Amino acid sequence: MDEDKVLIIMTSGPETPRRCATPFFFATLAAAMDYEVTMFFTIDGTQLLKKGAAEKVFPKEGGEPVSKFLNDALEAGVEFTACTASMELHDLKAEDMLDGIKMVGGAYMWSVADDCKTVLTF
Amino acid sequence: MAKINGCDLPDDLYYLIEKHVWAKPMGENVIRIGMTAVATKLAGGSFTAVTVSDRKVGKTVPQGKSTATVESSKFVGPVPAPVTGELLRGNDKLASDPNIVVSDPYGEGWIAEIKAEDWDGEKGSLATGSEGLDAYKAKLEEDGVSCE
Repeated sequence: MDEDKVLIIMTSGPETPRRCATPFFFATLAAAMDYEVTMFFTIDGTQLLKKGAAEKVFPKEGGEPVSKFLNDALEAGVEFTACTASMELHDLKAEDMLDGIKMVGGAYMWSVADDCKTVLTF
Repeated sequence: MAKINGCDLPDDLYYLIEKHVWAKPMGENVIRIGMTAVATKLAGGSFTAVTVSDRKVGKTVPQGKSTATVESSKFVGPVPAPVTGELLRGNDKLASDPNIVVSDPYGEGWIAEIKAEDWDGEKGSLATGSEGLDAYKAKLEEDGVSCE
């Protein structure tokens, strides 16, 4: 186990906007604390990684879109991984996804989880 | 205290300009560190939490690496170390009022103290005095930053 690695599993998507900012915020925060952070997107979370999707999701009326929180996390160095099975669930192709997303199977999630000090699920 | 682009910047501190943090020698290689007025402006000017990294106390933090984090409703980011050293302690007052970092960034709102590994060797990499403030001013002009 690596003391400096953490994993955040994101299952919330556009249908639950209020659940979509905090996971990115916590990921950015962990990166600012010098943790090596991986986010694994599955179930509805994967939909947020479709190009243009996060711009249209607002956790708070009149507030910032989810894309702001998502980009903060990417800029802080958080690794984004998308579950390929959930991409299929939502009919998403590799070319539909944001740049810099690693597409992985469920076994990848298990291997990262095994190596991480902390795993959070949203 | 100099005022540059509306930002208060004392000329007796040492600045890591790129990271907007200051260092102040307290004697025996103990260095007090904090955020500049510029940093608090860039971070939104109002904080919900400023937290010194407990897991790093007693450990060596390299120059430029995170000693603490600041959080607001719109921003989250690190407070990097201006010089390499052992993180000794954080400012206990931050827990009850993180906004002293904004209201008094060079006084009550200091962030942490570190025991510098090589202050004499590393202080040359920091900006200080009137020349240092000129360099800081150039950075603010380049980035279009103002505290007003």
